[in-house]
Amino acid sequence: MDLMTVDKLNFFYGRHQALKSVNLPIRKNAITSLIGPSGCGKTTLLRCFNRMHDLYPGNRYEGRISLRDQNILSGDIDLISLRSRLGMVFQKPTPFPMSVFDNIAYGLRLRKVKNKNALAERVEKALKQAALWDEVKDRLGDNAAGLSGGQQQRLVIARTLAVEPEVILFDESTSALDPISTQKIEELMVELKKEVTIVAVTHNMQQAARVSDYTALMYLGELMEYGDTKSIFTRPKHKMTEEYVSGRFG
Amino acid sequence: MNRAKTTNLLFQLTTFGAAILIVILIVGMLLTLLHESWPAVRRFGFFDFLLGRRWNYADNLYGAFRPLAGTVISTALALAAAVPVALGTALFLTELCPHRLRGIIGAAIELLAAIPSIIYGMWGLFALAPFLENHFQPLAAAGPGRLPLIGSFFQSQYAGGVNLFTASMVLAIMILPFITSITREAFKQVPPILKESSYGVGATRWETIWQVVLPCTKSTVAGGVIIAMGRALGETMAVAYVIGNRHGALDSIFSPYSTITSVMANEFNEAAGLQMSSLFTLALMLLAANFLVLSLAKYLLRPRI
Repeated sequence: MDLMTVDKLNFFYGRHQALKSVNLPIRKNAITSLIGPSGCGKTTLLRCFNRMHDLYPGNRYEGRISLRDQNILSGDIDLISLRSRLGMVFQKPTPFPMSVFDNIAYGLRLRKVKNKNALAERVEKALKQAALWDEVKDRLGDNAAGLSGGQQQRLVIARTLAVEPEVILFDESTSALDPISTQKIEELMVELKKEVTIVAVTHNMQQAARVSDYTALMYLGELMEYGDTKSIFTRPKHKMTEEYVSGRFG
Repeated sequence: MNRAKTTNLLFQLTTFGAAILIVILIVGMLLTLLHESWPAVRRFGFFDFLLGRRWNYADNLYGAFRPLAGTVISTALALAAAVPVALGTALFLTELCPHRLRGIIGAAIELLAAIPSIIYGMWGLFALAPFLENHFQPLAAAGPGRLPLIGSFFQSQYAGGVNLFTASMVLAIMILPFITSITREAFKQVPPILKESSYGVGATRWETIWQVVLPCTKSTVAGGVIIAMGRALGETMAVAYVIGNRHGALDSIFSPYSTITSVMANEFNEAAGLQMSSLFTLALMLLAANFLVLSLAKYLLRPRI
């Protein structure tokens, strides 16, 4: 089942067209990887999903992105609630300057969850989902900046999970991490897809092959090829896809 | 010795000389202040001078308490007025302002910093003082002026608008650009993805600014405020124009008063003997205060990895 559908999406940074008529389905409870050389538009596409582009002036969308049959590009969509339905994890860990507990509780408190027990329960649940609970349960009051890079990234994932999103968008979220932390995040992504839908931008071809169910290759703002990961990597239809996934270009 | 070596040695000596000159100047200045202030300190004792409430030419008795209080109160009032405006401006410029307007407001702030202080003094005397007297003092008298016990501090007994409050407001305007530009720089340094993370879990702009941007930048903001404080402590000409230079007790924030710098600027010309030495002691105190304040600012603004 498709949770989201991208339909003839054009995107403009001012006059520059960064996405050209992109069509793409996002399957529910699966991991979809967006791959392609730098500047191909994969991050731009990812940031269309939670309308992050709206924070900056001069950006414009054309076309349609549906989430459960609702067009999220329409003008009357509530961006604040949209963004909590589609959580985002960035290139580098982004812990807020506060304690581990407060980081996770951040989104809940914004939603006026005030009851202490309820808050503590949901923080614990989110940390367990993000496979971080055992490492931080004795230091929930410590500043989150003291965690390691990999722990911080899992903290950000837990913070996102705490507000119970339908989709999590990963924007090269392991590019700043060491191999062991990267592996933990990858395992976590596979575990999480039981509950949420994942879209992941990655530069790392092996990562796309290892974790994703579907893969989309982008080039110069266009979607070149989309399919289940296995066929993209073993029987690509386009020559360019074959060259890219085998590392001969990009 | 060959020529290259000679040049090198000469170069080293010249640059060393330039650097050591600064140290000599500072030490020399400090020695002058210590030497000149010694008669007053010996006559009154350091603590009696610090806490002495008299500044009396007839009896030749001097104490720093009132000018010191004037400096502290005017600086505090100036910060209280300037900090919210400066933070608001900096936040507006970095987070909310449309691109085109940003340049205009940014330039206006830099222009504010470029105005010589004597011009602030003249403008304060001829424009701000009458304005505050006619429009603000009646409001203050009708509002907090009616409170029991402290009400009289908001009543004005002197005409002309030349008083502690006017001086504080002139100071506030003068330090505004400093706080604004330092805090604006700090806000600009907050990584966009950190703010986006906050928006990403459903925060509004206001919640993001209040809970992420401000906590991230608090020590830089504090450093900027303290640099501005150092400036307000030492500002002389503008204050001397609008404070009224009165040595009496402070009965209202709308009464003429004096600060360390205004006393020094007004009395150096005619002072001699113990009065002159007392002025030097005031100068020494101001220098110490400024040194402490700037060290604190330097600590707060230290580069971090």
